[in-house]
Amino acid sequence: MGIRVENISKRFGKVEVLRSVSLEFTEREFITLVGPSGCGKTTLLRILSGLELPDTGEIWHGDRPIGHLSPGARDIAMVFQSYALYPHMDVFHNIAYGLRVRGTPPEEIRRRVDEAARVLEITALLSRKPKELSGGQRQRVALGRAMVRKPWLFLLDEPLSNLDAKLRVTMRSELKRVHRALETTTVYVTHDQLEAMTMSDRIAVMDGGRVQQFATPEEIYGHPANLFVAGFVGSPPMNFIDGVTLVDGRLVAAGAQPLVLPVSTLERFGAAIGAGALVAGIRPQHIALHLAANAEGLAGEVQMVQLLGSEKLVEVDAGGRVLSVVVDAAVTVRSGQPAWLTFDAARLHLFNAATQANVLPSPGVHS
Amino acid sequence: MQKHEHWRAADNRIGLAFIAPFVVAALVFMVYPVLESVRMAFYYIDPLNPDGQRFAGLANFATLLGDPLFWSSLRNAAYWTFVSTILQAVLGVGIALLLHLPLRGISIFRGLLLFPYIVPTVVIALCWQWMLAPELGIVNHALRAAGIIDENIYWLSSPTMAMHSTIMLNVWKYTPFVTICVLARLQTVPTELYDAARVDGAGVVRRFIDVTLPQLAEVLAVVVVFRTIWTFNKFEEIYLLTRGGPGTSTFNLAIYSFEQSIANLRMGVGAATGVVMMMMLFAGSLLYMRIFRFQEDT
Amino acid sequence: MTPQARARARRWVGHGAAYVGLIAITLLICFPLMWALSTSLKPKAELSTAPTLVPHAPTLENYRHLITGKSQYFADGSTGYQPTTAPPQYFMQWFGNSVLVSVGSTLISIIISTLAAYSVTRFRYRWRMAVPYFSLLGYMVPSIILVFPLFMVMTRLGLTDSLWSLTLGYVSTTLPFCMWLLWAFFRGIPIELEEAALIDGASRLRVFWEIVLPSALPGIIAAAIFSLIVSWNDYLFARVFMNSVDHYPLTVGVMLFFEGVHVDWGLMMASAVLMTVPMAVLFMMLQRHLVAGFGAGAVKG
Repeated sequence: MGIRVENISKRFGKVEVLRSVSLEFTEREFITLVGPSGCGKTTLLRILSGLELPDTGEIWHGDRPIGHLSPGARDIAMVFQSYALYPHMDVFHNIAYGLRVRGTPPEEIRRRVDEAARVLEITALLSRKPKELSGGQRQRVALGRAMVRKPWLFLLDEPLSNLDAKLRVTMRSELKRVHRALETTTVYVTHDQLEAMTMSDRIAVMDGGRVQQFATPEEIYGHPANLFVAGFVGSPPMNFIDGVTLVDGRLVAAGAQPLVLPVSTLERFGAAIGAGALVAGIRPQHIALHLAANAEGLAGEVQMVQLLGSEKLVEVDAGGRVLSVVVDAAVTVRSGQPAWLTFDAARLHLFNAATQANVLPSPGVHS
Repeated sequence: MQKHEHWRAADNRIGLAFIAPFVVAALVFMVYPVLESVRMAFYYIDPLNPDGQRFAGLANFATLLGDPLFWSSLRNAAYWTFVSTILQAVLGVGIALLLHLPLRGISIFRGLLLFPYIVPTVVIALCWQWMLAPELGIVNHALRAAGIIDENIYWLSSPTMAMHSTIMLNVWKYTPFVTICVLARLQTVPTELYDAARVDGAGVVRRFIDVTLPQLAEVLAVVVVFRTIWTFNKFEEIYLLTRGGPGTSTFNLAIYSFEQSIANLRMGVGAATGVVMMMMLFAGSLLYMRIFRFQEDT
Repeated sequence: MTPQARARARRWVGHGAAYVGLIAITLLICFPLMWALSTSLKPKAELSTAPTLVPHAPTLENYRHLITGKSQYFADGSTGYQPTTAPPQYFMQWFGNSVLVSVGSTLISIIISTLAAYSVTRFRYRWRMAVPYFSLLGYMVPSIILVFPLFMVMTRLGLTDSLWSLTLGYVSTTLPFCMWLLWAFFRGIPIELEEAALIDGASRLRVFWEIVLPSALPGIIAAAIFSLIVSWNDYLFARVFMNSVDHYPLTVGVMLFFEGVHVDWGLMMASAVLMTVPMAVLFMMLQRHLVAGFGAGAVKG
């Protein structure tokens, strides 16, 4: 049975945290809510859990409204950012608590806790208290507590944000593995777009209390619905060139020194562009850097070079606009050097400057 | 809008049920006595005949203001409060600094410090009386043995000495309070501040003035206001040691109120004294609120 | 001398001075009670001779006198110097009264303020912030104001001279600071614990009982200790409310020993020691909770 979030609005005092949010997802999906802090993602998760009461709107589980049910009656599970392990109970009783509350027979509790502990590899820790555990172990216990009841929905509130970088990568694949094994519908909240991209079936990018785009990671990355999504997703962030208009079949950026964008073919854009002002966006990975003169390319001067490991981030000043370009680390490039840039036309994004919406049709729809 | 009652609605009823006993208790045991004592301040009341009350208007207050004993009690209370609080603050900070040193076994001393706070006032008063007894008391004995005095000091039966003996008792019992509060704050001062000051070339004294004191300012302001109010209110710390005597030389307002109500059977006058005290306290609380602004949190 | 040696020497001197200061403070803190203990162990005759800290001929006679009500000095049963108003045989009775009254009022205050602190910190309704502010104000009301109106209430209810009047009366002084302390404490308990339990399916009451109370226990213990100290130490309420000798708590009862013609200092000091023992035991057992209470900024004194 799918879940439908319908027109949920919520305000705290004067702050509108959620503005008529609607989402629909199906069973077994791994959904991520991602956005900057204050975008309303955690509030939406808490409304799903029943801990928070929406001002308007309803939540449907299949064709059953569940918005009025208490968190316990919803039969869902939630993992908190702080893990929220009961400090006075050992690991076994932490995991077993939900079952005990529901009156599960002791031998059944024993069996299910043991099973969850085996899956999460924490069997040896069952008699420890939470304060005797490391961060990663606490994380596993919190997961175990959520799993053991076999709920129909997992809610995870930034569960990895308290772990160190290395452990976070490990736990990311661990979570993914658990999800594949249990196939429980999961809603995951994070502010880390990389986490969202790597784990989710679909991502809801949120900002200002609204869902900006709800789509697969590929779609979000390849065809961001608007300027916010384009800027939020991807690292290093997308280059934006504003004041772009279509002049004689070429994209020209207005300014003290008007730039003709180095895009060789414009047929993909068709009539969708219209006459209004545009913002062009292109990711640093989709710009090619030429150190020899290139007639097609945009001429500029290298300003700064940062080594990122296997790649280099090069900042090029082209007619007063600084564009970042990612090149292979093996490329030798110094600041002060002249450089020419060409764009991968298929990866160029155009946004309406007024509405901020992507004006290009999604490639998925198009072809 | 909702078709079903949201669980929060039922939940909130539990919240209200939980607060209800407090509301009742607060009304009966805190609000009512205060209001009643304000009412009593405007009546003639004999505790032996509680039903024969007569409205007195401002007569009780007039009695107060015309009573030289009231004024001397107020003066005593001010002196007692001022000297006790200053001594507690200075000694309290000093001892806190001492206990903040990284010495071996310091935690034993820290633990011991709270002891005077738990000793019943009656017990201290008894011990003080015994130690300060003119003939047999250990204090005079020690002073005589050391050759400091030739004649016994009448610690509790000469007016100035009695006042200072009660101050001593008060300082002994409540200095730990200041120390604990200051010590708790000292332990939260980031050591980076001291390191930074040291790198900047500040010596011990400068570090105390420029780092420690500013960090302590807030807690000290709060503690001093609280100590002032509570010291001003004290009854037992004086009454049990000197009964307000010799004569009336150690009367404060609480003892004055008590004596008016119990010995003179003029409960109205006693209550009026209480009202005057409360008005002074109210001013004190306003001061406190201004120093220590509360943040509304959800 | 090398600079290192000089620095070490300076530290030695500094630490030495600090220890001297600490020991002096410790003596100041401990001496009155040590002196009381020493006096209580001396036979009567020794009190009028040159005082020594260690009794020459230690005796438990004073304690025996207080606990059994009998004294070997007056085997003939004569009352001798004894204060006629309050013979020591009441001591154990007073002790029991003190225990009943302070435990009773502490229980009442703790139950009421625990429920209220939970309600105020976990539910949203109008005026909820008035509760802690009101308690803070309650801190500042002098007992002398509360005692007479409450006395009149107790008179009307026919409760004067009963232990109930004290049990209830102390609530007026212990409730405000229990409330303030527990409010501060409950604010610090992470709400996620309860939310996790709610999601686990526990009812609100079960959450309160199984999750919140265990987490709040240190705060509750601290509040209870302070409440016990305040009600055990009270003199004023008991002095105003109680009339019969056998209903007195320790504080008022022991002060009666003064009213005889001769003051038996040995007996006085023995009762002072016995009166302090329960608080000292509590103090030693629960010391770290006490400090936690001070940390929460909620202690009256």
